[in-house]
Amino acid sequence: MLSLTHVTKVFGSVIGVNDVTVELGSGAHGLLGPNGAGKTTLLGLITGQLRPTMGQVHVFGERPFANPRVLRRIGFCPAADLLERRATPREWVRYLVRLSGFGRDAAAERADRELDRVGLGEAMDRPLSTLSKGLRQRAKLAGAMAHDPDLLVLDEPFDGLDPVARHDLVGLVRHWAVSADAVAGRPRTLIVASHLLHEVEALHAGLAVILGGRLVASGTAGEIRDMVDAMPSEVRIRCDAPRRLAEAVCATPGAESVRFEGEDLLVVATRQPRVLAERIAHVAVENRFAIVEMAAGDRSLEGIFGRLVRLHRGVGS
Amino acid sequence: MSVSLSGHTDRSGHKDEPLRYSLLGSTLAVAGFQIGRLISRQRLLLAGLGVIFPAAVMMAVRRTAAEGLDRDLAVTMIYALVPEAVCMLGLLVTMCPVVADELERGTWIHVSVRPGGRRALLLGTYLAAVTWTSIVAILAAFLAVLVARVPQPLPLVGMLAALVVLSTLGRAALFALPAVILPKRALVASVAVALVVEYLAGFIPAVVNQATVSLRLRSLLVEWMGWRQKLPVEMQLLIDPQPAWVQIAAVICLAAVLLGVAAKILDFRQFPPSVEI
Repeated sequence: MLSLTHVTKVFGSVIGVNDVTVELGSGAHGLLGPNGAGKTTLLGLITGQLRPTMGQVHVFGERPFANPRVLRRIGFCPAADLLERRATPREWVRYLVRLSGFGRDAAAERADRELDRVGLGEAMDRPLSTLSKGLRQRAKLAGAMAHDPDLLVLDEPFDGLDPVARHDLVGLVRHWAVSADAVAGRPRTLIVASHLLHEVEALHAGLAVILGGRLVASGTAGEIRDMVDAMPSEVRIRCDAPRRLAEAVCATPGAESVRFEGEDLLVVATRQPRVLAERIAHVAVENRFAIVEMAAGDRSLEGIFGRLVRLHRGVGS
Repeated sequence: MSVSLSGHTDRSGHKDEPLRYSLLGSTLAVAGFQIGRLISRQRLLLAGLGVIFPAAVMMAVRRTAAEGLDRDLAVTMIYALVPEAVCMLGLLVTMCPVVADELERGTWIHVSVRPGGRRALLLGTYLAAVTWTSIVAILAAFLAVLVARVPQPLPLVGMLAALVVLSTLGRAALFALPAVILPKRALVASVAVALVVEYLAGFIPAVVNQATVSLRLRSLLVEWMGWRQKLPVEMQLLIDPQPAWVQIAAVICLAAVLLGVAAKILDFRQFPPSVEI
């Protein structure tokens, strides 16, 4: 359904996407990466807004850039806020559906149905300027889905939503991805870009992790967690005798490497941080070391991304 | 132009209309949407000023002329005020922001991922700009002719209306080029184009002025007013001697070529995602 082959996109001196090769079939897929990783650029290439500087993009077997045959089958919800303020959601979605090739009546029917589905039934005649960001987000989503696309691409679709709205829309999108095959009998593809792992996990989607314009990992959420867990994490210990502590730590099973930063900081790489922490506590008590600070490796998404990059570059694996 | 794809059933299970991308339908949708945007208090106030301004000038001139206004002078003044000034200003407001407005409102990205959305945006905005500006300018011409108390006003209004429509058709297409090439500086670029192309090149008695709307409009005015024989020799250099249908065809061809080039450029425009780059 969708393939990118050695795709690179350069904007002047900035590399947006760097040598990405990926093939996606039907079903739900998550594109995970921090802000500035290249997710929006990658989606721009898939949705035919951008042309690759190098490599090839094929969607439904054709190049998507300004290609009406492909664009007719794509629904796209961009990350950028909708600043069209005077129009109402009903007018806006009807307009988009008409631009997708539907007549006036069909567009009206589809827009109303979709706005009802995303929970904007009550607010569809209020100007967009009077709606909260969450409601405008729903209007954007309705605009992306109302023409019944085969490929739905959502860029940070749940950004700025409260937890209830987020839950509702995750359910809606997941339902779209699951029900489409069964009812219409056509294969459907959903791509959701996000910088939040739990959002993508909630969609039960396969994951691709992008960082610095490169795809650094792919698989299910579980596989990615396992991959991350298998990587050594760092424990940073600030104490009065780091070199003597290092001697003791080196004898500990699981300690893979040590290094010193400054006069009082010891950094230990390990795959068993809990065992190491217990051992350090014992050693410190026995030898009366004054430990000022002990911090485990960064388990946040940024930390995971950082570790994936190191893994990708062959450092620390 | 249309691209037909295979039909399919929609999610509700019944046979949906064929997947058909119609440039005309999309263009009309954009035009309707753009006219909806134009119907705002601010834009209506601007339009009102555009309607009243030429009449106010004509009234001031008529009051200063002790023996009443000469018909030819009045027509020349109304021509300069309406098919030239009002049309030009109206199109600067309505046509120039064709891409810039969409980028600013965050709507470009929604439109550019629709089949033929880019071209429909250009052509629909063109249609809306021509319609809106023509209506304003025709009302302005009507009011100015009434105020000037020109004899036989109705044929004159008809002639001015034709000049207004040709002016907007040609100049909206002319402004489409800077709008797609330099969307964020479209207004400045369009003013420069208007000055350099229409009012500098247009008055150079050489081949270069053949590609300007101003030459065609002046020539039509002279032809329809029957002034050709009255003009001094040096003024005849500033008009084209071809018949009226040639002037009209030239404006239409010029508009078609300019719009075609603008559409082709817009087809290839890429805007980097500002969020990420």
